[in-house]
Amino acid sequence: MQGTAIVRHVVTFGRVLREVGIEVGPGRVVDAVRGLGTVDLTRQEDVYFTLRQTLVSRQDELELFDRAFAAWFLRGPVAPLVRQQNRRHAARVVRGSFTTEREEVEREPGDERVELGASSHELLREKDFAEMSPEEFERCRFLMAAIARARPRRTSRRRAPDPRGDRLDLRRLVRRSLRTGGDPFEQAWKARKVVPRKLVVLCDASGSMDAYSRALLLFLHAVVGTGRGVEAFGFGTRLTRLTPDLATRDPEAALARATATAIDWGSGTRIGVSLKEFNDVYGRRGLSRGAVVVIVSDGWDRDDPALLTREMARIARAAYAVVWVNPLKGNPEYQPLAGGMRAALPFVDRFLPGHNLRSLEELAAVLAGIERRHAA
Amino acid sequence: MSFSTIDELETGLREADYLPDRGLATALFLSLALEKPLLLEGEAGVGKTEAGKALARALGARLIRLQCYEGLDVSHAVYEWNYPRQLLHIRAAQEGTVSEDELFGPEFLIRRPLLEAIDSDEQTVLLIDEVDRADEEFEAFLLEALSDFQITIPELGTIRARRKPAVVLTSNRTRELHDALKRRTLFHWIGHPSLEREVEIVRLRVPGIPARLAEEAAAFVRGLRGLDLAKPPGVAETIDWAHALAALGREEIDAEVVEQTLGSVLKYREDIETVRDETLAGLVEEARATAGR
Repeated sequence: MQGTAIVRHVVTFGRVLREVGIEVGPGRVVDAVRGLGTVDLTRQEDVYFTLRQTLVSRQDELELFDRAFAAWFLRGPVAPLVRQQNRRHAARVVRGSFTTEREEVEREPGDERVELGASSHELLREKDFAEMSPEEFERCRFLMAAIARARPRRTSRRRAPDPRGDRLDLRRLVRRSLRTGGDPFEQAWKARKVVPRKLVVLCDASGSMDAYSRALLLFLHAVVGTGRGVEAFGFGTRLTRLTPDLATRDPEAALARATATAIDWGSGTRIGVSLKEFNDVYGRRGLSRGAVVVIVSDGWDRDDPALLTREMARIARAAYAVVWVNPLKGNPEYQPLAGGMRAALPFVDRFLPGHNLRSLEELAAVLAGIERRHAA
Repeated sequence: MSFSTIDELETGLREADYLPDRGLATALFLSLALEKPLLLEGEAGVGKTEAGKALARALGARLIRLQCYEGLDVSHAVYEWNYPRQLLHIRAAQEGTVSEDELFGPEFLIRRPLLEAIDSDEQTVLLIDEVDRADEEFEAFLLEALSDFQITIPELGTIRARRKPAVVLTSNRTRELHDALKRRTLFHWIGHPSLEREVEIVRLRVPGIPARLAEEAAAFVRGLRGLDLAKPPGVAETIDWAHALAALGREEIDAEVVEQTLGSVLKYREDIETVRDETLAGLVEEARATAGR
């Protein structure tokens, strides 16, 4: 291959990758071309690794890359690359369902308090999500953002200047001592900073939770929007990581993408299997270690409760605290009889309802002041 | 030492007692050729850290290791001022005669790994281990250091690398690294090795182990990875276990010895129970059959 031919090849391949959803910046293409200049181009394996190592930076993109590589360089018969297409289609569907009342509710941020009278505000807080009109639901969004800002906190190992600190800040002390001929008259202290604790939210999106999943997705969006250290997942028959989809400023678009990602939205529930997937894939690399794990589900699991027991035990061992939010608990008559719910409860530190705004406030208050309860 | 082809580097690593697969050799080679940091990810125990150490041995370069942890800050990773010496110096020099420039000069500077690697005249390999454990504030320092190979110390100015270190970062993915950091690194995912390679690794790392035992041990661990376990064993566990079996003077494995030594392969009680309950005897038979081929 001639030099210019390689460049053209790689640039085009970069475009192919972008099409399947792998983000390839110009810097990476330059690296790929430079890399190919240093390896033996007749060895297919070396060309493959050179392109992969320069163009891909995430393990979960490797499969897409492999297919694109096979299609482009090996011209092999491969399954069509459809990720982008599906997303766009799903986005259209979801946008349609969310924009029915749009004209009425579009207003400047910050206006919401004025528009909501005290009494309507109260009513809205108590109303079950399942019984809300689309317009009421839209108004909830603003309130949720405020609720979501409460995050559990923990003490960081990093220290910052603090006059009431417990450790001398030697760097500043030396500077101050210059003025006094080496005598540390003026002392400088530092203390451990308080930072938000990791938060992992696992949200049931199956048929039995349909009425609440939209509300909870909005809540999730607001929670993810509070910043770093938040991971959000949706589950039904399997687990889907929602964090990247929810981490945008525009909740509508985020909802559309999240819905498209969790393709089993609205089918049956396999809680044990989903939690197992969470533990195997994310828990194993320490994502839940020291975190507050919030599970949002009605506890209707169609599988053997023994599996759920095992997986809840794994979560509880790694997590700082486990919170279970069950919208059915909003009903005073409710008893945790569902097999899955009963299996899970021994590992749960706090058991809360999540059926209306008021209960989300309660959740936020618990999150803000949560302490570890289970023995471990 | 320098390597002009992947094959040469592969040979160099082998001579340094490390058996990379082609992908890892390519990644390390590109990292040297393009002078870009290499980010290694993979399951625990696949040899990420070892790859960095082996690269240093192969190059004949000095290894500088920075183990990351939460709260790691500039004073532990880059530099710190020697405060006791500074204070003594102020007192010794009598009042009013010490200038700030004097006090914050190179002789009062304590060099930590990042500065050490950048401000070195000899060839170095900088191994930044478990970078995902450090917090995001620290990633910002890393970013500056790794993109331009320079470090700024407010009191002294900017120090540029005269000789760029080879940089290997490892991550267990307890969190996603910042995109800006990923853009500046090459990326390689290390998977579990093939059976043949794992046997080779075991024989290299457990000198004198009977060939048959090495094969059976590797095959058995491979079988374990196919099970549904909380923590599938990595190469490091295979090596530990092979050591244990060799120390017991075994030539082959059987259900009994596996049962006794399972704790060096599996680190979770549930996993040990899972294997004991259902599959142990069958797995041993399978491993012996695979090794016999």
